[in-house]
Amino acid sequence: MIQGKSFSRRVFRAVNGVILTALVLSCLLPLWYTLCISLSGKSAVAGGMVSLWPVDVTLSSYEAIIKDAGFIRSAGISFCRVVLGTAFSLTVIVLMAYPLSKSKREFPWRDAFMWILIFCFLFNGGLVPWYITMKNYGMINTMQGLVLAGGVPVFNVILVMNFFRNIPKSLEEAAIMDGAGPWMILLRLILPISKPVVATVSLFTIVNYWNEFFQGLVLATTERMYPLQTYIQQMVVTLNMTNMTLEQYQKVSKLSNQGLNAAKIFVALLPVLAIYPFLQKYFITGITLGAVKE
Amino acid sequence: MRSMHKRKRYSAYFCMLLSGFLWLVFFNIVPMFGIYMAFTNFNPGLGIFRSPFVGLENFEYMFVLGDVKQVFFNTLYIAVSKVLWNLIIPLLFALLLNEVSHGFFKRLVQTICYMPHFLSWVILAGILASIFSYDGPINAIRGLFGLEPFLFFGSTKAFPQLIIWSDVWKEFGYNAVIYLAAVTGIDQGLYEAAAIDGAGRWKQTWHITLPGIRTTIVLLSVLALGNVLNAGFDQVFNLYNPSVYSTGDILDTWVYRAGLRNFQYSLATAVGLLKSVVSFALITVSYWLAKKFANYTIF
Amino acid sequence: MKRKVISLALALSIVLTGCGAQKAPDNQDSSGPQADAAVQEGGAAEAQREDPFGRYEEPVTFTVALSVDPNEVFPEGDSYTDNQYTRHIKEELNVDIEYLFTASSSDWDTKVNLAITSNQIPDAMVVSSTQFNQMYKAGQLADLTDFYEKYASDAMRAMIDSSDGLAIENVSYGGRMYAITSPSDGDYELTWIRKDWLDKLGLDVPQTVDELEDVAKAFVENDVSGKGTIGIVGPQSGGLLNATFLSNGTNNYGFDSFFSGFGAYPGWWILGDDGVPVYGSITQQTRNALEKLAEWYAQGLIDPEMGIRQDASEPIISGRAGIFSGGWWMGYACLPDVIANDPQANFQAYAIPIVDGTGEYEPHATGASTSYLVVSKDCAHPEIAIKLNNLLIRDESSFDTSKGNIGNFPCRIPFGMHDESIFTVNALREVLAGTKTSDDFTEEQFSLYKLLKNDLATIKTVKLEPYDSTDIDTWDVQADPSSWARNYSLMVGWGALIDGARSDVYSVIYSQTPTMEQRWANLEKMENETFMKIIMNQEPIEAFDTFVEDWKAQGGDTITQEVIEYYESKK
Repeated sequence: MIQGKSFSRRVFRAVNGVILTALVLSCLLPLWYTLCISLSGKSAVAGGMVSLWPVDVTLSSYEAIIKDAGFIRSAGISFCRVVLGTAFSLTVIVLMAYPLSKSKREFPWRDAFMWILIFCFLFNGGLVPWYITMKNYGMINTMQGLVLAGGVPVFNVILVMNFFRNIPKSLEEAAIMDGAGPWMILLRLILPISKPVVATVSLFTIVNYWNEFFQGLVLATTERMYPLQTYIQQMVVTLNMTNMTLEQYQKVSKLSNQGLNAAKIFVALLPVLAIYPFLQKYFITGITLGAVKE
Repeated sequence: MRSMHKRKRYSAYFCMLLSGFLWLVFFNIVPMFGIYMAFTNFNPGLGIFRSPFVGLENFEYMFVLGDVKQVFFNTLYIAVSKVLWNLIIPLLFALLLNEVSHGFFKRLVQTICYMPHFLSWVILAGILASIFSYDGPINAIRGLFGLEPFLFFGSTKAFPQLIIWSDVWKEFGYNAVIYLAAVTGIDQGLYEAAAIDGAGRWKQTWHITLPGIRTTIVLLSVLALGNVLNAGFDQVFNLYNPSVYSTGDILDTWVYRAGLRNFQYSLATAVGLLKSVVSFALITVSYWLAKKFANYTIF
Repeated sequence: MKRKVISLALALSIVLTGCGAQKAPDNQDSSGPQADAAVQEGGAAEAQREDPFGRYEEPVTFTVALSVDPNEVFPEGDSYTDNQYTRHIKEELNVDIEYLFTASSSDWDTKVNLAITSNQIPDAMVVSSTQFNQMYKAGQLADLTDFYEKYASDAMRAMIDSSDGLAIENVSYGGRMYAITSPSDGDYELTWIRKDWLDKLGLDVPQTVDELEDVAKAFVENDVSGKGTIGIVGPQSGGLLNATFLSNGTNNYGFDSFFSGFGAYPGWWILGDDGVPVYGSITQQTRNALEKLAEWYAQGLIDPEMGIRQDASEPIISGRAGIFSGGWWMGYACLPDVIANDPQANFQAYAIPIVDGTGEYEPHATGASTSYLVVSKDCAHPEIAIKLNNLLIRDESSFDTSKGNIGNFPCRIPFGMHDESIFTVNALREVLAGTKTSDDFTEEQFSLYKLLKNDLATIKTVKLEPYDSTDIDTWDVQADPSSWARNYSLMVGWGALIDGARSDVYSVIYSQTPTMEQRWANLEKMENETFMKIIMNQEPIEAFDTFVEDWKAQGGDTITQEVIEYYESKK
């Protein structure tokens, strides 16, 4: 391109490069900082001496993680939850999205269902009634609780629905002519060409289940059932240690090992970072076609 | 014959919807009975339905409390600012990134910039606190320009900005994905034709790229309307402190504190209900707006 | 599955033992929920004593909730649900402990509050004062009066009685006990100062508020730490400026000791000059104190990052701060980290600033612990909660705490004598001075002062000569860090409290009145915000006057009236 060689173009490119590099750095430094903390000695961290390079470098935090049965167990629970939850959530999302992708003419009750969905998305009874209900269903301290309570993210349903809407009608009409029923069409025709959106929604679901901590906290009555994020959250939250008795203080004092916490955060981040590039090739198509309906 | 087919198809659709809507009934609609709490003076010993009914008393008290008005305002201010900047900044970023011809650098930038999206606010809160602390790097940089160190997390003025911009920072790379995808979706032939006509990159951006992703922009803005009362519980909860409650407290954190910390459960439910009602109204409005003016059905 | 069976069995046992006696679930019922009809037979309503350690013929299941330390390492095969304590309980009482929930300290309040609001409470658990009030109001609690009379051991009674009735008064409504709590040491705050810095600058230990100001100024102006000295430490993000009548544990890194130097008691219900209760936060003294603190803040004497820091102790640990207000037990808290960074950092505690006129240190004080052992009204055997603590008091010293933190003992209240620390410090001093030895103390004393034996045995491993100094270079921290933490805290912290002239200021009330339940959270929030802003120079001192007006108008006046009524009724 001729314009690409002009002077102003080159200046623009340089400036652009600087801006983008700065943005990249702003995203990298916090992670790097966490890594530095996790590799530094305890006193140095507590004294606020660590900035962008580890002080008193030690691997003790990571060694401690390997020996920490609680961490490993929580990671296992999270892993299980992600696998089961994604399977459950994806099935429900696809099954809901397909009928809802029909026009009002094709499926007259479609709008009614859609509005119910939106209503449920926005209204809730609050934490305590929800907790009592979960308890009555026997969802406390169980894997099905962790999986089912996560539920049906409305945003994902809409995404898949819009993707389905973009599939040329002619394909489906041809199938109907051949006598295929809705189940057949969904399974044999729609799903195989919807890989991008399924991959995208899988990614969202995996990340959601992996990162969710609040339900894990409420639904477990013992730390043995905490998913990883809950486990980390309750170690990392800053305790108000200023107003307590000696008794209370002695119980929490062992928790405040920032280096170890940073190491745990770092380890917990890795799976998500690892999975993203893997699904990325579908991601862009999935999200575009899901979001934009022409 | 035709209607037979139709009925068969409808019943299949109902079957498909069954799983999801069963879930909704059990996990969402059943717990919704708790909304009744907003109209009682809730006493846990008596349970929700035996607690004394007080009508609209909780709502009246809510409007008497200067607190709630302030919290509503804070929520609106923070959420609306977030919505706006989360639309604009990622768009600019996507446009800038689109100008990079070096494929590897482009992918690298994109891959790194969505990383913060996956960091939880618990973690980021700790990091931000130290970066913006009195003797942290930001104040060190201010010092280079001869400025007094400034307490970002203690200033009622700075705190909402900090909330807004840290959120924009966290999400810009991720939000840009949709824009970038839309930009990539534009017919390359248009650019080539424009280049032949002598249009520079600026003109191409203005006349081809932006119109090409107009629908995406409209869609994202309209969808964002529903978030106007969602200022981000996780974020504010982990970053705020009592000295910035006056500008930093939002509906969700207030409801959490009132309900679970201060045992004002009925009041908290009333405020939560009000939030739901307003959000529902907003989403309905955005639905009709999009339909009427853009002839576009969101859902 | 198992849980279902148990709850079924529990429900059944309630039906069998409880029916007839529990006519109404009304807490106010003067006879209380009597599970045991046998008492009534004797005719004398006054309970006759039962065996405080009585073993049950049939195994009894008792559900509790426990605050745990997730990092704790148990011996092979042990866990929270099965350890030396639970086995000991099974053996002695034939009681099977079941856990309704466990949570780490950070989740604990959320979990307990959720349990209370959803009415899913265990047979017994240990809660805070606010939670106790809420549970009473909700009618979830069993009346423990008769159970206490019948089952409390002599040692428990001796300890509770050592508080002059406060430990009972705090848990009573209408003369009936709805919880068990223990006396406390007082949870005083003192002023901790870097004595090595005083020496370095040739300064005397300050006594009054003005002298304290001079010292802080000298620390800052001379940058005695060499890395940007912070004179006075302030509370961290979410921390309290001062302890309050509801949150009355030790308030580390607040301004408590400084406030008392002005005769100001924010957060405390004190008696005004006219002998009528008044809320300490709205007094002229508090106004004066705030004005002075704001001045200190403006002069850079107070940590400019107060209220923002995630951890108030950070500048102390990094060796930048010279003065802070904190409890006697700082040897357990930040001091080990301070010394790890700088072995010469010599923090000493002082019962200052003294009040002009009286010349005494007049700290605010509590009479009873902030931990309340409560029992569900649906519990079939409320006495088990008391028996567990009888057992704990009797056998605590025989447990090997390296095989599991003593905090894991179910339903544990940290029972102790009201004067436990004073007695211990005096004993330690006499042993160090050579005027007494361990043999001069009786077995009974060792049983009431549970840690005394161990303290006397270990003091000389960590305390070096000269024994009359408590400076940091006269201690061997490494010899036994945990015993150093305790002995340093006692000798330095409590030593200062014992030696100085002191008169304690108690709150008129330590619980909520009816109007408080509705309004207090919002009033307290207003107070915290206003005070914080005044000190940090974001609002002028005149904001205080507006606050007082608003406070009164928004329910404060009504609440004051209720507190006055409460006070009159207790007289």
